Amino acid sequence: MAGTAARRGWTASGALVWVLIGAGVFVMAMPLVMTAYISLFRDAVVIFPPSGYSTAWYARIMEFPRFGTSLGTSLRIAAMATAGSLLIGIPASLALVRHRFPGRGALNVLLLSPLTVPGVVIGLSIYVLVVEAEIATEAPLIGSDLVLVLAHLLITTPWVVRLCVANLIGLDRSVEEAAANLGASPLSVLWRVTLPMMRQGIVAAALFAFIVSFENIELTLFLISPGVMTLPISILQYLEYRVDPLVAAVVMVQTLVIAGLLILLDRYVKLSRIV
Amino acid sequence: MSARPRGLTAGLLVGPATLLVMGALVAPLLLLARTSLNRYDRTQFMVEALTPENYARFLVDPFYTGVLWTTLWIALLTTALCLLFGFPIAYRLARSQSRWKSAGVLLVILPLFIGSTVRALGWMGVLGRGGLLDSAAAALSPGSSVALLYTPFAVVLGILSINLPYMVLTLQSVIEGIDARVEEAADSLGADGPRRFLHVVLPLALPGIATGAVLVFILAMNAYATPLLLGGARFQMMAPMLFREYAVNNNWPFAAAIAFILMITTLTLTAASSAFVQRRYKAA
Repeated sequence: MAGTAARRGWTASGALVWVLIGAGVFVMAMPLVMTAYISLFRDAVVIFPPSGYSTAWYARIMEFPRFGTSLGTSLRIAAMATAGSLLIGIPASLALVRHRFPGRGALNVLLLSPLTVPGVVIGLSIYVLVVEAEIATEAPLIGSDLVLVLAHLLITTPWVVRLCVANLIGLDRSVEEAAANLGASPLSVLWRVTLPMMRQGIVAAALFAFIVSFENIELTLFLISPGVMTLPISILQYLEYRVDPLVAAVVMVQTLVIAGLLILLDRYVKLSRIV
Repeated sequence: MSARPRGLTAGLLVGPATLLVMGALVAPLLLLARTSLNRYDRTQFMVEALTPENYARFLVDPFYTGVLWTTLWIALLTTALCLLFGFPIAYRLARSQSRWKSAGVLLVILPLFIGSTVRALGWMGVLGRGGLLDSAAAALSPGSSVALLYTPFAVVLGILSINLPYMVLTLQSVIEGIDARVEEAADSLGADGPRRFLHVVLPLALPGIATGAVLVFILAMNAYATPLLLGGARFQMMAPMLFREYAVNNNWPFAAAIAFILMITTLTLTAASSAFVQRRYKAA
């Protein structure tokens, strides 16, 4: 390294940088480590040090069906929102990058605008509109999958557009032009060249769309009904009244499943390169 | 594509997404704007009207403006802290050649997936009465207690731990886009670490810093679960207050007015910051 001689002179600032890194990692990791630790307490009350440790809480999760049901709802909504946002977000980003048309810049801003509006504002506004629609059609819409997925599409699609646009800009256009010159129809260029080349961007987009939908609280809060509850909201409601090893165990199971999926995904596409 | 006019193809491609944003964002916001001008009545809930009184009520009452100020300073402070802690981590990750790099990135991504309630739960265990710190203090000097839960400190810590990964990931991708040779050049020209950072890395990373800062600022302005769980009953921020007006008081017109005040404050500040960065860029 060329810089070693120069670096020797600023060990003080170097130390400061490492202190900051340590503090940052601590702040990010501490809540999760703590949750994992609490989930192993034997007592039902969180007191330090615990009287003993056990994994019994994990076995008891099944006795509380509301977490399981809400996990199912969360997964269902997130999967539909992810699929839907890919379906409309990828074509939109193709149009934004590969086509020239009037109003393109304004459209780009419009499609990303849901990211800049606070989630509670979106939630309340959709709620008010849906109530008007319920009064007009007399169909039960609040708490329906349709409304939840549509609302989640609004916050997942901008991420898909953002990541796919960034990905497309970085792609070499001459490969597509070569395919077209060799006689491939526009559709087969899209299907056999452009989309495969976008693979990393699409995977990143799907991943982010899923995260954004799965962990959303602010928007979802307004659109659930007592029977239909997403996992983050049922955990939130539980935590408002008590903190115990059971809810910690629920959270850990969720975390482990997601960590497993991420590691699997990382083998397929390097996450460090796409996010 | 040549068979059809190109504009039509583009329109078909971008149409569904545009319809979604118009139907699920623009239309509801227009309706909400109209709602915010209605009047609230205890018996009839919402009465059709055209009055600015909901906005006036917010702006005149020191309680509500106080909540807006609290939200603003918490959001600004956590954004600054995210930059302070996030930049070194992002820089190390971006410049790392080690095989642990992707493990490091995974460790940053993972907390993103777990949601804000989990982070709140962990901090409740650390800061709460009978929690880790409290018990440690009691063990060291019997009779003493440390109750940090339900304080602004707990809220700042909670929001920081949620927003930091977003900042790290945004900055990391920007720093990876900066050619490492530029830094080596500064190095060989005799710039020491702090100078290299201030005069080379920082200016080049400025657009990414602005993007990351705007992202975490919006997230903090919008925070719901963290102030609710870590701030306790007396600590107020805009999002929980808005939800309470809607769900507990059933006062939709006032909730709508709060929504617009929150949105306009957020948008004004983010627009101001991007205008500032753009001007710096043209000057540089």
